[in-house]
Amino acid sequence: MPKLSALNEIQRKSMLMWPCLEHDDTPWAPMAKPLSQSKLGLVTTAGLHLRTDKPFIAVHEGGDTSFRVIPRSAKADEILQSHTSIGFDHTGIYRDINVTFPIDRLQELVDQKKIGSLSDNYYSFMGALRDVSDIVENTGPEVARRLKDEGVEVVLLTPT
Amino acid sequence: MKPPRMLAVPFFFGNALGEADNPEYQHQILQATFALLDRDQGPVLEQLPDDMVPDILMQGSETTNESQEKGLSAADEVTSLRAYYEQWSGAHAGRTAVGLSTIPQRRFRGIVRFIEGYISGEESDMKERPRDFTIPQFIRYCVDDLKAFYYEARMAQRPDGKDREIHDWFWSETAVGALIMALGQRMRIDEDGETQAVAYGIAR
Repeated sequence: MPKLSALNEIQRKSMLMWPCLEHDDTPWAPMAKPLSQSKLGLVTTAGLHLRTDKPFIAVHEGGDTSFRVIPRSAKADEILQSHTSIGFDHTGIYRDINVTFPIDRLQELVDQKKIGSLSDNYYSFMGALRDVSDIVENTGPEVARRLKDEGVEVVLLTPT
Repeated sequence: MKPPRMLAVPFFFGNALGEADNPEYQHQILQATFALLDRDQGPVLEQLPDDMVPDILMQGSETTNESQEKGLSAADEVTSLRAYYEQWSGAHAGRTAVGLSTIPQRRFRGIVRFIEGYISGEESDMKERPRDFTIPQFIRYCVDDLKAFYYEARMAQRPDGKDREIHDWFWSETAVGALIMALGQRMRIDEDGETQAVAYGIAR
């Protein structure tokens, strides 16, 4: 996100008042092997989903905390964005999905042998949530379990 | 929040990798991100060494829309942009951000009439509305589709246009921009909580 000094007053106040979780510590897992030998998964909070999937909705109290599965084989023209926040600019992703969901860039890094492999499934949440307790307790651990089941060793999270 | 490894980037919300259609720059962002994996202690919070200052998203309320003074019809405007939209879609192997409402773009005049009826207080609906979408949800997806249709048409019309110019055109000059602002105002004063929640994400 931009530095607070780059935002207008309304956006700056909104960010400063945002109900962020504050943690006392950090989960830490050192890399067991180089990225070039690791399996990487992609998780975004850009509110993306398959064209055939259910869109995210605006009416849940605190926001929609569900997630969508996006198979790695999905092409850009099969993916839509239904993020309900009006506070961000969709123009970039209209032009190029990689600006928030770098599916082509990651495949290029595998082809260049800089990443070992990619998971078969990627995952999408919707950001800008005011209450993330359901993600902390339910949908987040569910996605983590699925990633572990697939042998994912590194996760790239692209927030929105 | 103390995530284990984080690269803070200065780009505007929705543009985590910096710039659309710039693979080289996107790779630089990824390289800087993956370099954090080599650290042996955390949490790691690094700032991307880049002084890029992003364009701030313009809101509809920042402008005065001139379409009514010019007598523009939203439905005719949709029709006039169709060729540009199809040009965009064709040039991108069919990729389009249009599709949330499930209404084909050739029926978007019908969406405009539906929204106009809703604003004027009629019992407005479309027979194509998926039954598992409530009317407020459906309106929201229709608005997202109209915006995507207009933005993609404009990007075909003005390939060198900057993002800020597209926002300015949409909210200041188009009849659909004015229609969506009026729709947002209509939904905000509704007594129904779901309608109010949807209004927040439509226009402000």
